[in-house]
Amino acid sequence: MAPPPTEDDISNQEPSTDQSRPISTIVIIIAMQTEALPLVNAFELTEDTDSLFPKGTPWVRYHGTYKGLNVNIIWPGKDAVLGVDSVGTVSASLVTYAAIQALQPDLIINAGTAGGFKAKGACIGDVYVASEVAFHDRRIPIPVFDLYGVGLRRGCSTPNLVKELDFKVGKLSTGDSLDMTPQDEASILANDAVIKDMEGAAVGYVTDLLKAPAIFVKAVTDIVDGDKPTSEEFLHNLSAVTVALGKAVTRVVDYISGKSLKEL
Amino acid sequence: MAPPPTEDDISNQEPSTDQSRTISTIVIIIAMQTEALPLVNAFELTEDTNSLFPKGTPWVRYHGTYKGLNVNIIWPGKDAVLGVDSVGTVSASLVTYAAIQALQPDLIINAGTAGGFKAKGACIGDVYVASEVAFHDRRIPIPVFDLYGVGLRRGCSTPNLVKELDFKVGKLSTGDSLDMTPQDEASILANDAVIKDMEGAAVGYVTDLLKAPAIFVKAVTDIVDGDKPTSEEFLHNLSAVTVALGKAVTRVLDYIAGKSISEL
Repeated sequence: MAPPPTEDDISNQEPSTDQSRPISTIVIIIAMQTEALPLVNAFELTEDTDSLFPKGTPWVRYHGTYKGLNVNIIWPGKDAVLGVDSVGTVSASLVTYAAIQALQPDLIINAGTAGGFKAKGACIGDVYVASEVAFHDRRIPIPVFDLYGVGLRRGCSTPNLVKELDFKVGKLSTGDSLDMTPQDEASILANDAVIKDMEGAAVGYVTDLLKAPAIFVKAVTDIVDGDKPTSEEFLHNLSAVTVALGKAVTRVVDYISGKSLKEL
Repeated sequence: MAPPPTEDDISNQEPSTDQSRTISTIVIIIAMQTEALPLVNAFELTEDTNSLFPKGTPWVRYHGTYKGLNVNIIWPGKDAVLGVDSVGTVSASLVTYAAIQALQPDLIINAGTAGGFKAKGACIGDVYVASEVAFHDRRIPIPVFDLYGVGLRRGCSTPNLVKELDFKVGKLSTGDSLDMTPQDEASILANDAVIKDMEGAAVGYVTDLLKAPAIFVKAVTDIVDGDKPTSEEFLHNLSAVTVALGKAVTRVLDYIAGKSISEL
């Protein structure tokens, strides 16, 4: 198990954009179409006909303006062969990279659903803003490589936003599996996470590389340490919770409109 | 556990480049500097001074010409905070994507070290060309999502190359951990893999998206189902095996020079 991180180990967001300029362009990274569509509708966005992205990639951009903001929802699309949403860390990192390169956003929001731990106070339908993101399924038991595997990073600091919108705040742990092995569980505990997803820490990795400010907004679809099997509970609650997620992200974007990063 | 894949489930390489045209530009994706340097030296490549890649990314390109080929070795570089090689699937997928966008290569070679299973005939120092790549740590127990998680893909078919150069051929299983949990082991067995690494299937995902032909060349540093702990055995053999890897990849390039994809 990795030693506790020091301040030096936590990679902080040091944005390259001017933090006192009003936010103009935002990119919202959403892994599943079910999670994205309520927001596409709420913001009245349109799907790109000419793709921003290279031929062969299934990535989709929905865009438009909303309360003075250029809003882009980026969905990694359906797998070309299998037809399911391109979930997970590899797709999320690629689409985040491509979107930042193409759109140079002032702020990235990774929005989606997550499992929650009732032992840490999570309930179905809760919406969390992640204070930190980390991986729980990249175990490299060699000194320093272990920390690299965990990839602990802080989200952009938004104290006013979380206070004003009354969101829960907690640590997010990311892995490419929907299920959870005992080793995953131990790593998630070591990450001190209250919520568990499949993309956050990968989005955080890319936004940190490119020094783009990012926040993580996750709605709880299932209780990981409860008695219902994850996939069942997740599928059962997905529609209802994406409505809650949509409302939360709409409130976030309403709050952001007209403000600079510093004011968040 | 995912049902056995059908022919439809295995995403085949359908290259967009003309398979009968002589290969001109190759990109070699190598995760660790220790693995890369013997080849950088063998081909007398120089490190880029003006980066091909965006500011903030640690990715490094070494390039030059060798036997009429434009050779590019792409290394994801050292983590900016922690100073270790940027190993694993997220880095590998990003760097593969960025390299294909920038260089439009005719062929990608993912070269590196791997663990081997002695039960399937692997020995330290063996060099394998992967017939297939798949993930073993992306378990999503929902129909079809499970196959997506496994991400089974074939390498570009190179029957003449493997025969002429007398390489072993086998299935490669990829995961972000150096260690192996019982669940990982079960997935690796289901993938019928003889070798295990941390990048291959991610490189394969991107090359398949962009329809770029790819082959996977992996040298065995440790015996996973042996009695030595993986990290110890890996670190102990790394230098010697990277020499073997370097020689193998040199032979591959010597073989490729002057040929088209269809001749491989």
